[in-house]
Amino acid sequence: MMNHDQPSAKDQCGKIWSGIQLLKDTTENKHFLPTGLEGIDTLLGGGLRQGQLTEVTGPSSSGKTQVCLHSASLVAAKNMGVVMYLDTSNSFSASRVATIIDGSSDLFELGLDLQPKDMRLKSVMRSIICESVFDIFALFEVLHQLEVSLLNDKVNNGGSKMCLLIIDSISSLLAPIIGGKYPQGRSMMISVAMILKKLADEHNLSVLVTNHMVSAGNGAVKPALGESWRAVPHVRLVLSRECGSNICTATVLKHTLKASGRTAKFVVPS
Amino acid sequence: MLSEEQSQKHITTGSGDLNNILGGGIHCKEVTEIGGVPGVGKTQLGIQLAINVQIPVEYGGLGGKAVYIDTEGSFMVERVYQIAEGCISDILEHFPHSHEKSSFAQKQLQPEHFLADIYYFRVCSYTEQIAAINYLEKFLGEHKDVRIVIIDSVTFHFRQDFDDMALRTRVLSGLSLKLMKIAKAYNLAVVLLNQVTTKFAEGSFQLTLALGDSWSHSCTNRLILYWNGNDRYAYLDKSPSLPVASAPYAVTGKGVRDAGNSNHKRVRVT
Repeated sequence: MMNHDQPSAKDQCGKIWSGIQLLKDTTENKHFLPTGLEGIDTLLGGGLRQGQLTEVTGPSSSGKTQVCLHSASLVAAKNMGVVMYLDTSNSFSASRVATIIDGSSDLFELGLDLQPKDMRLKSVMRSIICESVFDIFALFEVLHQLEVSLLNDKVNNGGSKMCLLIIDSISSLLAPIIGGKYPQGRSMMISVAMILKKLADEHNLSVLVTNHMVSAGNGAVKPALGESWRAVPHVRLVLSRECGSNICTATVLKHTLKASGRTAKFVVPS
Repeated sequence: MLSEEQSQKHITTGSGDLNNILGGGIHCKEVTEIGGVPGVGKTQLGIQLAINVQIPVEYGGLGGKAVYIDTEGSFMVERVYQIAEGCISDILEHFPHSHEKSSFAQKQLQPEHFLADIYYFRVCSYTEQIAAINYLEKFLGEHKDVRIVIIDSVTFHFRQDFDDMALRTRVLSGLSLKLMKIAKAYNLAVVLLNQVTTKFAEGSFQLTLALGDSWSHSCTNRLILYWNGNDRYAYLDKSPSLPVASAPYAVTGKGVRDAGNSNHKRVRVT
């Protein structure tokens, strides 16, 4: 007896791609979204890649939030698409976005600085959706709603679709539940990881998350979230900043296309 | 969002130089951590902020109330009275044409009123501290005019008697997320005072804020108070929109003021 309500096996397993289709999709659709910080963009091979999950980790005050703010500002200002910014530490500030855009040399080159400042800022802010998230369940809720909106094609700003999802920082949301004897925390972390990768792949998003550092014994530090998280992001960068300066150093921990271990310096303009 | 930010008032610290590096003062909707060695003035600054938040709107302040959660018992009421008197005398000095302001506002400028608008909680263990913060949300729902919550000091009860470090990390990160949520939801400033500890790193002992690396990510801004010879300095260590900077300040009989005249400064006692 054929049960017509159940989808056939062919529908359920998703589209099967040939190598040529994949290459075509990569060259046409999987663009690099620039962060606007030269050193970082060089290390990343152009910027944050669509379809990939990029992690930026580092000790406190090393520039992670600045990377997030710069990416959001530049992508919105260049009209590349809608940005969703999930903020866990009340660090997103519209005035900082304004300062970044006003100081950006990229826009000057593209002639986009000819608009009056407040109009430019308004159009940029319309492309950035900022939400505060303070616990892991709220994050699941937001991601679920995002999934539904993207499927119904409701997330756009006058025609441009969402291209960048930033979570600053995902480790603060996961810290209260991981560790200890109970495995639920780690399984929730892996659930979040899978949802983020699915969103990145199905809707051509670039996902940027920030992580913090924990001690690794003998005074050394390592990225938080443990061994299970290590395999999750496609690209991992470690930042550091010398006390009192605004020159930060980024090191590649993991990259799908390039060698690890390369470093670059970048300046956070004030 | 930008217009909301621009109309956001800041809570003055009492010292103009300090206000400048903080971008006008302590920001509402953000969690600011203030750390330093014993004796440098953290509690003084905490008390000063509890008074300054109450400066009436007619005189350029927020006209709000304060919640002071004391874990160490360092809240000396006589000193609070003294600081309130100092604040009032400065207001009247700054606004000499007081006959223009309503006489009601002037009558309200009594030290007793300032003391009455500080809600004081004394906690004696880490469980009480967690309970107090959980209760805070309900309390703030009933007292909507609170504009600052000060916790002095957030680390005290977590430094001793905690065997399970992983549990401590989980509890503290949960606490910090709750405080972030409260700051955003009730549009108030959260100020956390922290102690310092020594850390063995790179072959030498360094002074660093207590509670470890994971806690250092739990605030929006961080201010470190330190001694430079016989002068007190404040260093803005972490901020999403301001550059790192130092500024001197002084603790006088009237409270926290600019480090200009050295007549009334309280000297270092070591």
